[in-house]
Amino acid sequence: MSAIYEAPRARINTSMLSQYVSRPVCFVGRVEKVHPSGKSFTMCDGEGKVVSVELNEPLDEELSGVVEVVGMVTNKGALMGSAYTIFQEEKGVAFDLELYNEALKVIHDFSQYYPFKVETSG
Amino acid sequence: DTMKLSEGAIEVRLFPDCVFSQNIRKMDGTSGPPRFRIMMNDGRHTMSYFMLSTQLNSLAEQNLLEPNCVCMLKKSVTNVLKDGRRVIIILEIEVITPAKDVPGKLGEPTPFVEGDAFQVHALTSCLRQSANKGPSREFGKKTPSALPSTPGGSSKVVPIASLNPYQSKWTIRARVTNRSNIRTWSNSRGEGKLFSMEIVDESGEIRITGFNQEVDKFYNLIEVGKVYYMSKGTLKIANKQYSSTKNDYEMTLNGESSIIPCDDASDLPVALCSFVAISDLASHEKDAVLDVIGVCKSVDELTRLTTKASREVSKRTFNLMDQSGCTVSVTLWGEEAENFDGSAQPIVAIKGAKLSDFGGRSLSASFSSTVMINPDLPEAFKLRGWYDKEGHAVEGQSLTEARGSGGGTTNWKTLSDVKTEHLGHGDKADYFNSIATIVYLRKENCLYQACPSPDCNKKVVDQQNGMYRCEKCDKEFPNFKYRLILSANIADYGDNQWVTCFQESAEAILGQNAAYLGQLKDSNEAAFEEIFQQANFHTFVFRSRVKLETYNDESRIKATVMDVKPVDHKEYSKRLIMNIRKMAV
Repeated sequence: MSAIYEAPRARINTSMLSQYVSRPVCFVGRVEKVHPSGKSFTMCDGEGKVVSVELNEPLDEELSGVVEVVGMVTNKGALMGSAYTIFQEEKGVAFDLELYNEALKVIHDFSQYYPFKVETSG
Repeated sequence: DTMKLSEGAIEVRLFPDCVFSQNIRKMDGTSGPPRFRIMMNDGRHTMSYFMLSTQLNSLAEQNLLEPNCVCMLKKSVTNVLKDGRRVIIILEIEVITPAKDVPGKLGEPTPFVEGDAFQVHALTSCLRQSANKGPSREFGKKTPSALPSTPGGSSKVVPIASLNPYQSKWTIRARVTNRSNIRTWSNSRGEGKLFSMEIVDESGEIRITGFNQEVDKFYNLIEVGKVYYMSKGTLKIANKQYSSTKNDYEMTLNGESSIIPCDDASDLPVALCSFVAISDLASHEKDAVLDVIGVCKSVDELTRLTTKASREVSKRTFNLMDQSGCTVSVTLWGEEAENFDGSAQPIVAIKGAKLSDFGGRSLSASFSSTVMINPDLPEAFKLRGWYDKEGHAVEGQSLTEARGSGGGTTNWKTLSDVKTEHLGHGDKADYFNSIATIVYLRKENCLYQACPSPDCNKKVVDQQNGMYRCEKCDKEFPNFKYRLILSANIADYGDNQWVTCFQESAEAILGQNAAYLGQLKDSNEAAFEEIFQQANFHTFVFRSRVKLETYNDESRIKATVMDVKPVDHKEYSKRLIMNIRKMAV
């Protein structure tokens, strides 16, 4: 699991999944439905489009609200989730998913100014 | 009968609004712009000492004013030549009947010779009203017939627009739109009192001032909104410095002036306003005086503040919205502020409001403005209808940046913009918002001992005997209150800036109040320093004021922080995204 954090992971939304097959990505979305087994769930992005997330281990807690999932894109266009972070709603201002989506588009439209690189530290 | 000339007008020399036919001739030989000389025929006399003022030359050049047309002389000025001859310069003239429609010479005029017995006729013969109705003259009266002081009868009412210094016998009927308070003065030349008011009728408006005895005579009689017959005021050229009333003349009441209430006044306008849409306010220069009308969407609490002259004054602001969908903040002062009730979202019209660039654009009612609540104006009814139907749901885009919100029309700059745009270099200080991080706070000399009086912040002098003296209050106190003046350096991605933060901003940055900090400085140096360490490297929204100041040939930008607020990340993000998209185009 820690391997996923060693590589740069592009932030994407549902529309971009097809361009990142077999690549590590970071996906922020709102949880829609959790499978009773706890091994998968669906979430929608800032544009309202849905993505399916699969997990190696079943969830051991309630998942709801806005979540950030780090993982690989499968060739079926789903996310193989390695780790996730819940953006707690109670803490401060609610996360604006639509605004996040706008920022995401800027990052991709002007990628020359938002490079994804691995910095080798000396 | 548009060809009825004002007979006798040349003789009486009472010109405005008199009807003539004429012969026009271009004068030769003069250098500069051509001058046109005109011979006027009033049906009884002809006289050729009329000249067209140069600004009206185009009328002659374009043959709009032709020989033998019938025209009405509206405004003129009489010059006396060295040899005593009088020349009348025409300032405003209107062609009533073009020459082609005039059947030859009108009347049987004889040339007028100066020095003929000057007979005073009743003024009414020369007034436009009577020119239409037919002249009524009284021959042979040596003394001017005084117009009766009661309305009606043989006195004829003239329009305000026709008032001028060359005619003294008139009566007007007008509504008072504004009345000032009584103001007194006392100087080396003596003392006195005055009041002023503005009146309006269908033709226009005029400002009237009354001094001393006229104040006693008329002040209490005048009620704003009521209509009066007035006569015998002194007319003179208006001093536009003191009023924005649309009239070239203004009036002063004199010992013979009369003001009588008129009951039947429904036909007179409530006020003459040319309303500017709130959305257009940005295109007007600051300090402009203009008329606005809108719905009072929301109103703030009444506040009191102390002026520089240590006077207390009430103040209230409210938000005005009109059909343009824009809102603007309006400030009322004094009694007007105290009496204002905006709870029922009334229609508010302000004549002569002052435009300011505070917060972008905002309005205030000065002592010469007229504030009307739910006025009897067609625009008011239209607004009410619009607001009740759809306007109430409109959010409204505000032209005034409200304190506490940083969006919309706020002036956002980066610290490097301050240099590249030369902010603060103009006559007035510049205000702007920026997002910056504190990189240094100077803890030395950040506190001073101030006068303990509630509204005084002057530094006190330590008398070294346990007493502290305030020069402003001219008193000594056994105590003082600590106040902050914090020098800081703030930075963003492009530049840094030294700023001065006063009490409220400094307390917000340090997270402690001045009194506590003062106490800590005296008792626990380490804890005092710790506060400054902790406060460093925080990012805020700064509202700053910059102005170029010169000391001994050296000019430097002085920046003062007016307000400090936490960053609203959502708003900041939206703004950045918008700016990026704009730049990409």
